[in-house]
Amino acid sequence: MPNEALTPKVEAPLRKALESKEMELNMGPQHPATHGVFRAILSLDGEKVVGIEPVIGYLHRGIEKWAEFRTYQQAAPIFDRLDYVGAVINSHAYVQAVEKLLQVEIPKKAQYIRVVLDELQRIANHLLWLGTHALDLGAMTVLFYCLREREVIMDLFEAMLGQRLLPNAYPIGGVRFDFPRNWEKVCRDFLERFPRLVDDYEKLLSENRIWKQRTRGIGIVTPEEAIDLGLSGPTLRGSGVNFDVRKAMPYSSYEDFDFEVPLGTRGDVYDRYMCRVREMRQSTRIVSQALDGMPEGELKAKMSKIIKPKAGEAYACVEGTKGQLGFYIVSDGSKQPWRVHVRAPSFVNLQGLETMVMGELVADVVANIGSLDIVLGEVDR
Amino acid sequence: MADDKTPQAPPAEEKKTAAEERAATPERPAEKSEASKKPAPPKGWEPTGDIVSSPVTEKLLAEYGGAVSGIPNSCGEATVRVKKEYLIEILSFLKNDPATAMNYLSDLTAVHFPDNEKVFEVVYHLYSMSLGHSLRLRVGLDDGESCPTATGVWKTANWHEREVHDMFGIVFEGHPNLKTILLPEKWDGHPLRKEYPLGGPKEEKIRAGAFERPVYLPDDAEEAAKIIREIKDAE
Repeated sequence: MPNEALTPKVEAPLRKALESKEMELNMGPQHPATHGVFRAILSLDGEKVVGIEPVIGYLHRGIEKWAEFRTYQQAAPIFDRLDYVGAVINSHAYVQAVEKLLQVEIPKKAQYIRVVLDELQRIANHLLWLGTHALDLGAMTVLFYCLREREVIMDLFEAMLGQRLLPNAYPIGGVRFDFPRNWEKVCRDFLERFPRLVDDYEKLLSENRIWKQRTRGIGIVTPEEAIDLGLSGPTLRGSGVNFDVRKAMPYSSYEDFDFEVPLGTRGDVYDRYMCRVREMRQSTRIVSQALDGMPEGELKAKMSKIIKPKAGEAYACVEGTKGQLGFYIVSDGSKQPWRVHVRAPSFVNLQGLETMVMGELVADVVANIGSLDIVLGEVDR
Repeated sequence: MADDKTPQAPPAEEKKTAAEERAATPERPAEKSEASKKPAPPKGWEPTGDIVSSPVTEKLLAEYGGAVSGIPNSCGEATVRVKKEYLIEILSFLKNDPATAMNYLSDLTAVHFPDNEKVFEVVYHLYSMSLGHSLRLRVGLDDGESCPTATGVWKTANWHEREVHDMFGIVFEGHPNLKTILLPEKWDGHPLRKEYPLGGPKEEKIRAGAFERPVYLPDDAEEAAKIIREIKDAE
C-alpha cells in the first residue's frame, strides 16, 4: 500500500493542467533504423504511440513507366533495382511473367539452376536482414557474422553471374550459364558449414534475455488482420498463416523439393524473427536437394530472339525475399510491354506497420520496422 | 496499338512550332511505324485467347449474370469484367461466400487504354488461401469517372488505391485517406497515363542530326531558342 504521507496531493484544477498532450515526433526520412529513406510521423502520448503516418515515395524512380518504353529484354535489368538485396529473385519474377505471356516452358535444368540461385539469394537477404535488425536493437556482434557469410554467397554470384549485387541473373526463357568449374564444390562446402553458423546466431539471440524482452509480445498481428492487410512472406507466416507461394502455387519445379514452411504462433516480432531464421535452414536444404538432383539438358528454351507476345495479360508471382512478389504485364502485341505493374511485398507489408505499433512504446517502432524487412527501393519503385 | 507507343515522339524543330507539331501527333508516328504498312490495326486493345472458365467464374455468372462477363486470356487465367455498380457487392460476395472464399486481395492496379471505349481499367487480383484458386476482376472507367473503394472489404486496398490515384488520377469514392503516396505533394499530372512523357511534363525532344535528344527547356522562350540553336550548331 502506498504511503499516504509520501503521495503528493494534487488539486483538481492542477491535475487538469498536468494532463499530457499528444506530441508529434518526426522519425526519418534519414534515420538509421528505417533502412533507407522512410519517414514516419508519430503521435505520442508520453512514450506510447497513438498514431503513425508513414510517408514514402522518396525513392520513387518511375520504374513501371520506364519499362513501358523498353523492349522486354531491355526492361529486365531495371527490376533488379527494386529490392536490391534480393535482386536475383526480382529477376526471376519478371522473366516468369514474360514467359507466361509467351507460353514458353523452360527446360528442367534451367528451372533447377534458378532454384539454387534464388534460395542462395534468400539466404543472403535474410542474413543482411538479421544483422541489421539485431543492430537496430543493440546487438552488434551478429552483423559481423552475418556479413561474413553473406560474402561467400556474393562471391558465388560473382563467379557465376559476373556481378555481386545486381547480376541481371536470368534471360527470358532460361538461364545464361551453367555452374562454372569448382562452383558446386564451394557451394556445397558452404551449405555444409551454414547450419552450424545459424546455430551460432541463434545462440547469440534466440534465448538471449534482452533480445526476448525487446521482441516477445511486441507488434502483434492476428492472422485475420494479417490476411486483411495483405501481408505476405515471413511477416504473414509469423502470424501463423500457412501461405507460401512456393507451396501454394509451385513454380520453377518447387514441387520437387522437400521443405517445410516455418510458422509462428503469436504473430509478434520474435515469431517473425524465428520464421526467417528457420527459413534460412530450409533454403539450405532446398539448395542441397537441387544440386543433388540437377538434371541434364538445355539451359534455354528454344524461342525466337525477338520477343513479341500476343495481346493479353499475365500475372505471375514468386515467393520473394519479403513476400509475394508479383508482376502483372499487359501486352498489346508489340515488342514493348504496354504496362508492367509490380506487386511489391515491401509496399504492402509496410501498411501493416500501423496495426503493429499502435499502443506500443516508441522504442518498439524500431523493432517493428526491422521485423517487416522492408527495402525502400521496392516500396517506392 | 503500335502508334500509341510513342505518344511523346513528335520532334520539335523549334520551341515555337512545338504546339503545331503536337497537334500533328496522330499522323506522325503512324508514318514511321511498321504498322502503317499493314492494314490498319483494330481500334483499342483486344486480348487474345479463349474465355477461361473456372468454378468461380461459373458461380459468379450464376449469381450476377448480367453484371459479369468473361474476358479472353491466352495464359489460362480466369478473368472477368464487372459492372462498376455491382463491384463492391461482388467483391464482398467473393470474399464471404464459402464456395469462393477469396479472402486475399493480392494486387490492385489500373491500366490506361486511350483508344478503348473505356479508357481506364482497374484490375483486381484475388486469391483464396483456403481453396487455392485465383481470379482477376476488371472494371472499365471513363476518363474522370470515379470508382467505388474496396477499402471496406480489404484494408490492403488502401495504399494500392492511393497509388492508382497518384499514377492515373482515378478517384476512389469513399476512400478514407486519398492523398498522394509515391509522388511529391502537388505534383502536376499522372505519370502512368499514356500521354505523359517519360521525361516528365517539361521534356522536349530536339532533333540534332540523326538522333532525337531529350532536353529540359526553360520557361523563357528566348533562352529556350538559344539552347536549341546551341544543340543544332554542335552537330
